[in-house]
Amino acid sequence: MAKKISEKTLKKSFRTWFFWNGCSQQAESMLGMAFGQAMAPVIDELYDTQEEKAAALQRHITLFNTEAQVGSICNGIVCGLEEANANGQCTPELISSVKVALIGPTSAIGDSLWVATIIPILLTICLSISQASANMLWLGPVIYMLVYPIGTAALSWFLFKLGYKSGLEGMQTFMATGRLNLLTDTMTVLGLIVVGALTASFVSCTLPIQIVKDVYDATTNTILESQVLFNADSVLNSIFPQILPLSLTLGVYGLYAKKKWSPLKLMGLILVLACLLTFVGYATGFYA
Amino acid sequence: MSIIQIILIALFVYLGSIGSIVGNTIGWYTLGRPLVAAFVVGVILGDIQTAMVVGIPLQIMYMGNVTPGGAVAWDLSYATYIGVAAAIVFGQGMDATGAIGLAVVFAGIGGLVGQVMWNLSYALNLPLNRFAANYAEAGETKKMIIPNVVMGQAIGFLCRFVPAVLVLTSMTAASGQADFATLIPGWVTTALSIFGGMMASLGMGIILSFLLKKKYHIVIFLAGFILVTYFGLSTMAVAVVAIITAILYYVAASSQADRKGA
Repeated sequence: MAKKISEKTLKKSFRTWFFWNGCSQQAESMLGMAFGQAMAPVIDELYDTQEEKAAALQRHITLFNTEAQVGSICNGIVCGLEEANANGQCTPELISSVKVALIGPTSAIGDSLWVATIIPILLTICLSISQASANMLWLGPVIYMLVYPIGTAALSWFLFKLGYKSGLEGMQTFMATGRLNLLTDTMTVLGLIVVGALTASFVSCTLPIQIVKDVYDATTNTILESQVLFNADSVLNSIFPQILPLSLTLGVYGLYAKKKWSPLKLMGLILVLACLLTFVGYATGFYA
Repeated sequence: MSIIQIILIALFVYLGSIGSIVGNTIGWYTLGRPLVAAFVVGVILGDIQTAMVVGIPLQIMYMGNVTPGGAVAWDLSYATYIGVAAAIVFGQGMDATGAIGLAVVFAGIGGLVGQVMWNLSYALNLPLNRFAANYAEAGETKKMIIPNVVMGQAIGFLCRFVPAVLVLTSMTAASGQADFATLIPGWVTTALSIFGGMMASLGMGIILSFLLKKKYHIVIFLAGFILVTYFGLSTMAVAVVAIITAILYYVAASSQADRKGA
């Protein structure tokens, strides 16, 4: 009789992976131990002898890494392959090589689409919700706390089952339909507009240079004290509102993306600039 | 902060760190986000308003800090839980910009502790591979939980909870010593708020590096920018405009793709 993994075991394997994939992350096997633990219930169900179990466990605690939330598709695919192996339709060598081959593409999709696109976009939307009213500041985080984990868990379980049911072909069709690219492009458009708005509302940078003089008013024969004759910041903003925050943001982007500066280095640069601007501001009487 | 509040915040520092017991989806990617962290600290310390006022700029600043595997890997949860708690503890009587400046500085300190602890736990987890290998060799499927969860989390808990308690306790002790709002000179507060405002560009810049894929994308970014500066829309209003634009884009692009396919 052909061996089959029960739904209950699949769920158990998924739960173990979903909650504990990062529990023992390190440089030697990355998420290997977590993968091994997630495979344990499946191995228990598929193999009878202690030798078979040992061999299966040993091939699953080796190096494995992915973006774990989207990468649950790997676990699904490997479950399917182990099932085939228990029925004599697959070899342990094939399982290991498929596993290694999956690391690259799943990490790439997970990191670029899910982690670097969906999370910031969801966060920016929740930030805007919090910004909408001073009495509702708590609403943004509450929505995020509900939407993100529930949505991700649903997607992760869907991908796990997709991987188990349709194996490598399933993953290929999932990646090749073009819908994925279209969806990414759409989210990018959404994200860019909101990030533009957030930049305008939150990044602040002023040029604290002004000329203040006491002016003699001939019509009333009085001296008007401390009149602002020239304010560099309002001159700049009358040309293009918030041009300094915009240039600063694009400058940071350029240094980070093109010149590969580290965030820590950029933080240092910003600190130096901030101190410099504070000094200039006090020197010209902009900050009193 | 009372002892219970310190323990609760430290517990959340641990839960929101990379690879905690609740998983990265609920932990690092939810409880570890500054927006959520600020809310949690606000609830624990009973001052949601101040917590969110400093939490929102922190979230903008650390917006780009997302990938555990990426270049910006450190335990962000340290930065925000400690930064927000500091703003509430030390910022009594300060205005919003001063409190934000305080939060930025303490988030920086917390971030440094977090980076050290992340590297430490990453190294301490290495020997666990030996235990896992032994259990695997014996085919002990039931015992795979020991190296991954039991031992891994003992290390994780010690590396996160204990230092967080120490930092928070010393903050509480320091806050009893003096009234910081009057102690900090005016120019420091000014410098801090300038720094805070400029730091927001870091988060936005890193996010742009993820989103700007084609040359013309910069125009879409500028559109969002000028909707606020020229048209005076709120960010929420722009978010609505963005959603509408995205839907239109999707419909247009997918019908074009269908035509090509046919």
